[in-house]
Amino acid sequence: MLSLNLDTQSDGRVHVVENSISVQVQEVVQEIGKALLGKEQQIRLALCCLFSGGHLLIEDLPGMGKTTLSYALANALNLKFNRIQFTSDLLPADILGISVYNQSSGQFAFHPGPIFSQLVLADEINRTTPKTQSALLEAMEERQVTIEGETRSLPEPFFVIATQNPVTLAGTYPLPESQLDRFLMRLRLGYPDQRAERELLEMNTERDRVEAVQQCLSTSEVAEFRLKSSKVAASDSLLDYVQRLIAFTRGKEDFHFGLSPRGSLAIMRAAKTWALMCGRSHVVPEDVQVILPAVVEHRLRASTEGDGNSSAALVQRLLNEVDIIE
Amino acid sequence: MIIEHNSQIPRHALYWILAAVILVILPQMMRMPLWISFIAILCVTWRFCISWGWVSYPSRLTRNVVVVFTLIVSASQIRALGIGLDSAASLLALGFVFKLIEMHQKRDIYVMLSLCFIMSMVAFLYDQSVLSTLYVSTVLLVAVGALVAVNRSPFEQRAASTAKLAVLIAAQALPLAVILFAVFPRIAPLWAVPLQNNVSSTGVSDEMSPGDIAQLGRSGDLAFRVQFSSHLPPLHENLYWRGLVLDDFDGTTWSRTRASSSYGSATQLQNFQYNWENRVLAEGEPLQYNVIMEATQQPWIFGLHLAQPIENNLYQSRNFEIFNNGIITQRISYDLLSFQTNKTDLFLLDSQRSRNTSLPDTGNPESREFARQLRASVDSDLDYVYQVLAHFQQNPFFYTLNPRTLDQDRVDNFLFSTREGFCEHYASSFAFLMRAAGIPSRVVVGYQGAEYNPFEDYLMVYQYNAHAWNEVWLEGEGWVRFDPTAAVSPERIRLGPEAALRDDPAFMEEALFSSMRFGGFGGVMNSLRLRFDAIEYEWNRRVVNYDQDTQFELFEQLFGEVTEQKVISLLVFLGGLAIVIIALLIVGVGGSSRRNPLESLYLRIAEELDKAGLGRLSGEGPHNYRDRVSAQRPELGELMATVTSAYVRQSYEVDASALARQRQDIKQMRMALNQLRFKLSNLSRFMPRN
Repeated sequence: MLSLNLDTQSDGRVHVVENSISVQVQEVVQEIGKALLGKEQQIRLALCCLFSGGHLLIEDLPGMGKTTLSYALANALNLKFNRIQFTSDLLPADILGISVYNQSSGQFAFHPGPIFSQLVLADEINRTTPKTQSALLEAMEERQVTIEGETRSLPEPFFVIATQNPVTLAGTYPLPESQLDRFLMRLRLGYPDQRAERELLEMNTERDRVEAVQQCLSTSEVAEFRLKSSKVAASDSLLDYVQRLIAFTRGKEDFHFGLSPRGSLAIMRAAKTWALMCGRSHVVPEDVQVILPAVVEHRLRASTEGDGNSSAALVQRLLNEVDIIE
Repeated sequence: MIIEHNSQIPRHALYWILAAVILVILPQMMRMPLWISFIAILCVTWRFCISWGWVSYPSRLTRNVVVVFTLIVSASQIRALGIGLDSAASLLALGFVFKLIEMHQKRDIYVMLSLCFIMSMVAFLYDQSVLSTLYVSTVLLVAVGALVAVNRSPFEQRAASTAKLAVLIAAQALPLAVILFAVFPRIAPLWAVPLQNNVSSTGVSDEMSPGDIAQLGRSGDLAFRVQFSSHLPPLHENLYWRGLVLDDFDGTTWSRTRASSSYGSATQLQNFQYNWENRVLAEGEPLQYNVIMEATQQPWIFGLHLAQPIENNLYQSRNFEIFNNGIITQRISYDLLSFQTNKTDLFLLDSQRSRNTSLPDTGNPESREFARQLRASVDSDLDYVYQVLAHFQQNPFFYTLNPRTLDQDRVDNFLFSTREGFCEHYASSFAFLMRAAGIPSRVVVGYQGAEYNPFEDYLMVYQYNAHAWNEVWLEGEGWVRFDPTAAVSPERIRLGPEAALRDDPAFMEEALFSSMRFGGFGGVMNSLRLRFDAIEYEWNRRVVNYDQDTQFELFEQLFGEVTEQKVISLLVFLGGLAIVIIALLIVGVGGSSRRNPLESLYLRIAEELDKAGLGRLSGEGPHNYRDRVSAQRPELGELMATVTSAYVRQSYEVDASALARQRQDIKQMRMALNQLRFKLSNLSRFMPRN
């Protein structure tokens, strides 16, 4: 009920044009797919998010493979990787780092926290207090941290993959809208299909498979993807379509609030990267439609919260009711 | 005064407005006093100079002076012309041109242009001919052009495109105007302006002094047009358009007997209708004809001898003259029945006999003596008549428009010394000679002859056709028509005054294009003139005379008997139609034209596929659509791939290579659309029907 099975939607891969980028992307997807079976579309979206330079929020029930996906991504992209398990007693210093008095040198020495790495896995982010959450989220936005009056830059690239349990579960501090907005995408993994489940059961423990994931892309290649994605062309017709999508969310009774300009920028950024990953130099409406649920679902809230998942229904309306041709 | 920048008048718009104003004022200038025209020109020039910054707007003082001036002028106008059309029109024109110089803002332009529309309608109060309608239409077009120019951006100000837009807008209004003209109820006005109350009457009058009809001979104006409904019109020499019977002679002037001249109260004349049968012996089939007569400011109308009016508001007098119920102030149309062979008043009452034989006690002794001797020399009254006609024929009488003036004993003078004159001289002296011999006789005035217009098959009677002749009462015959002019100048009667007077310099000297008829251009110009008159005639018949009766006739032709139910359902239908059209416009039926050709082509292809159950879903991307269609109908896969790649290339790829292929892609899509139509129709043809 809580997990929308995204595999039922069209996966946008049919519009792939064979070229060096799309082949490369396909390799990465297959490599990660070794660890996370039958979730090719989610893997692609996660890659899209990272190639766009955005942070990723994975929301699902415990044991659905959130952490596996994060590990596999880190391995495949060869990123320096730290994991923070968020608990209710975690403090900001535990994330950012702390200066410790060194008795031998007689000076304070800074011990960087786990945030100083290229990929930070913030596990179960909604289990910690808002104070600690905001420490992380500030670092995400500024890409630098200020500790004891000293500003320190975070490494480049810097990605945060946060996971959280659905807010309806007990013992969680839901992230406020303003902070949710800072994640480029929110993914839901969903249950594996029967074939993948069978394969999973036949195989060894999960951990082995994550370690089997080989590096496919270098850090510089990831940076290059980011550069290229910003050069993907978006025609007037497409921008019209995106504008209609955004306008549809604003000033309507069903929508508690519309999409922010940051949200609309996020749509364009993700769509351009998706087009790039498909080997194209221009965005088509399908690109927008594929990334749209992941990009806007967590930014929208239905006026009447019938069930916890009605923002997904809103996005579906958006896709169905806004035509690509006016 | 603070003037917003955007409310100022753009110069190119101003030229349009000035043109409209000048065009509106021009026809008024011909009717208005000269000094008003002068003020109008001054105001237009002033406004033009303001736009170039040479002079400024009028000061408060100037404006106050102008207001006082206008008040004084209008007061004096009313005194001079009376409260009527002319004074009202000149006052309106003054206010109109003064508004021009204090036109600051756009809002003033709208006032000005609304006034333009009203002012141009004033022209119709004077003249409703084809030419003036065309002229007013032009004025309206220019005024619409001015409206367009005012509302256009300063960057789009080419006069040609503005004019084109104005014509387009006006053309859109035309169907509505035609429908409204045909169906809008013709309601009689609740009040009426006295139209042209200072205008003198025209045409034949109820008095005849020597020189009166000769004056009409100088005019080429149209008197009336006649169309015979069933039969061919009679020969030219039989076309005597009888007007009034003059039976009272005071030695100089023939006039209607005052006792019988109570034509103002037509109701009295109605009583006469009852004994009409007893006084008339009519034979043969009557001629039916329609006359459209120009305004005369007189109540009488003209018809062939012994005409019986068909319409209700026409009355016949004791002498078989016909009157309209009221003064004819505008062009009217009426139908008459005439009996060609007839005898009237076979028994003459004593009172009638004495009135038609009475002469002044004194004067013209020579003529009286001549009449007595001549009557004594012949046996019968009829022989006497022929003797007198023979006298006119055998002696050197001349037919001319410019006779020498006559003194004291006019009849003597004319008969025995000058011997030159126009029809009224002959008719007058003939009647005198009859009465001097004791034979009842009278003068009849009207028109004789007509010009035939072959284009619309009708007759045109001009003022120069005005004529006077006689009726003589003979025992056993009743009143018989004799025309002494025919004895002097037979061609006047057989061929018309054009032939008889072609060398007379006075003939039609007041007419503008008299040379056009008989001048060097000859046939071509004359046929042009006739053609134009035919258009004018049809215009009068069908448009100007379109009144409540014709409206009902039209409805009856279209929908059968006119019932309240039908009228209501027609109105409901038209109203509903208007609402539906407006609704469609709002919903945006014509909206597809805003799209670029590529998108509309793509949508048409989708529409075509929709017929086969493969319509595009809302929000469906082009690739997804292609895949869905190809999955369901593999045979359409290739076509869809072509269409989709062309469409995607043009809509979403924005590089140069896509632009270069634009024409090719559109062509490809068009071909695909045709193929699709063909394929789908084939499919449906071979699909089994269930």
